[in-house]
Amino acid sequence: MFRCVLTAAGLALFACSTVAYAQKQTIGAPPEASNMKLVGTNDLQARSAYQPTIHHQGDRWIAYIGHHGGTDDAPAPVNPMTGQAEPNGTSIVDVTDPARPKYLRHLPGQEGKYESGGAQMVRVCDGKTLPKGDPNAVYMLRTFGGEAHEIWNVTDPASPVLITRIAGLKDTHKSWWECDTGIAFLVSGAPEWRTRRMTQVYDLSDPAHPQKIRDFGLPGQEPGSTGAVPTELHGPISTGPNGNRVYFGYGTNKGGILQIVDREKLLTGPKEPTADNLRFPEISRMPMSAFNGAHTTFPMLDMPVAEFSEDKDGKTRDIVMIVDEAILNECGEARQMVWFADVTTETRPMMISSYTVPEASGQFCQRGGRFGSHSSNESMASVYYKKMAFIAFFNAGVRALDIRDPYHPKEVGYFIPAITAATDKRCIPVEGGERCKVAIQTNNVETDDRGYIYIVDRANTGLHILELTGPARAVAGLPRN
Amino acid sequence: MRRAATMLMAVIALGAVSNLRASEMPRAGGWREIAWSFPRDGWPAGRAFRCIAGGCDGAELYIRAKRGFCNCDTGVADDDEVDRVTDIDLISPRFVPAGPGHAVGVAAMLGRIRLYDLDMPDGARHAATGLALSRRCDLLVAVAQGAGEANAVQSAALVFLETEEMTRWMAEALDGR
Repeated sequence: MFRCVLTAAGLALFACSTVAYAQKQTIGAPPEASNMKLVGTNDLQARSAYQPTIHHQGDRWIAYIGHHGGTDDAPAPVNPMTGQAEPNGTSIVDVTDPARPKYLRHLPGQEGKYESGGAQMVRVCDGKTLPKGDPNAVYMLRTFGGEAHEIWNVTDPASPVLITRIAGLKDTHKSWWECDTGIAFLVSGAPEWRTRRMTQVYDLSDPAHPQKIRDFGLPGQEPGSTGAVPTELHGPISTGPNGNRVYFGYGTNKGGILQIVDREKLLTGPKEPTADNLRFPEISRMPMSAFNGAHTTFPMLDMPVAEFSEDKDGKTRDIVMIVDEAILNECGEARQMVWFADVTTETRPMMISSYTVPEASGQFCQRGGRFGSHSSNESMASVYYKKMAFIAFFNAGVRALDIRDPYHPKEVGYFIPAITAATDKRCIPVEGGERCKVAIQTNNVETDDRGYIYIVDRANTGLHILELTGPARAVAGLPRN
Repeated sequence: MRRAATMLMAVIALGAVSNLRASEMPRAGGWREIAWSFPRDGWPAGRAFRCIAGGCDGAELYIRAKRGFCNCDTGVADDDEVDRVTDIDLISPRFVPAGPGHAVGVAAMLGRIRLYDLDMPDGARHAATGLALSRRCDLLVAVAQGAGEANAVQSAALVFLETEEMTRWMAEALDGR
């Protein structure tokens, strides 16, 4: 009997210690991973990172990484390359050899902390694809805090040169730039508009001479309107003149909307910001639950679905993957996750499936920081497009999904980096003060044409370059490594 | 026997009074708590009150915390933000600002307040006050509306929000408790 009690007590202690381990990351512990492995890292000067864009530039691969503003503890971290305190901006890293990323340049952004400063977003186009660009140049479009969009010549990525600034804005966010036409859908807070974020359509085919085409948003957001104001924009993705669609995602963690817009009508239709003119290019709109927002709306059109291959109709489907953004620490909100919408009949889009990381698989609500989705890779390179998607899931790291059957998405791998001394704390209010924890906050993910996966951390842990291993490689059709 | 019966009645009566939900008790400034009558949306429900005395009779006040806004440093930046975040659209989507708003401080939080003309679903026109206060990345929003004089309703609502009970509740709501 006594032995039984001892055994039970031992088991209980073991269970408790396991839970405690799972709930807390520690410096020096190995990363948690399945079918993904670390290839290389860079600390990004311990700056909070938002959007990475990987560009094949000549015979080099360059990562351009946008940053949030600084933190209370380090509003302008010191750049060890210059010895100067610099407000967070854009990190430019040579990732040609992914095992040895080389930090080339930090380009300071707007002063300010957290969402209020930095240069969070970045897109890159070659001059040779832009209709009026210098064919020898490479251009980077980035936000400058909330007040401007900028275009830089990054032909020499270590020595960027400012070309253009579009300023006087209330806020900025995740823009889209068509490299083959130069049309840009800039997410801005234009003066007089009743929303913090809407779309300003520009022709940036000649980066030195931006041409404004129009402002766009949901009826009720335009200047002079009254009544309820619809959910603000988060970001659009265009399929260009061939696809002739722009997919707009509105909302972060609440009241999401997927809006499908006729690109041609948007560009050439009546431009005065009236409610009727804003409705004119809209094909349809799919409101989501009040519990979820639409951070990323990633189109995957004409997807063959194996399950439907013998059906007389509907063998291929147009799919939009919608990723919500978690905002509150330690599960202080409804779960933010990934949704798949079938938009084959465009005027009647329908949600068909969803994906989330099981909370209990890592006690993620207790680890600290945000738990939930934030964003997906946005590269449409053939290596992963319509086969795999990678989702940044804050303290649950990055998740690799097999999406070949979008009606039944399946996780096939994950990677949660280890924390470092640079990883910043995340706090929640408790009676009489705050309680803080330190955990990975994988904010964004991007892939390159070679198949490498780049994740960046909102809590200052830097850049991790990953590759798939084991069965996950087969999903993408990659050779075994 | 009669004495025992009287005592029993008294005990029952006292019990009944003590069992009255806090929500049914009149509050400082003459506000009585009523049910939160709006359908579930993205934010947890807040608290609702009806003015029963003090010059704002019949006016209603709705207040709730909205945790997790991104502009943590700038707070409630302008009147457009008041239009967007206060719950005035729950009452009616048809509202028009009656003029520019102004900065206000309530319970150690800063924000903005603005008056509106509100077309009620039954066709009546009411005056409304929208209030948005920020605490770092979170918001505390309130809207008061009624058929009475707008400034009187606004003043009564602000006095009520400054009471110790409401100040404490607002802090707890913003903490997620």
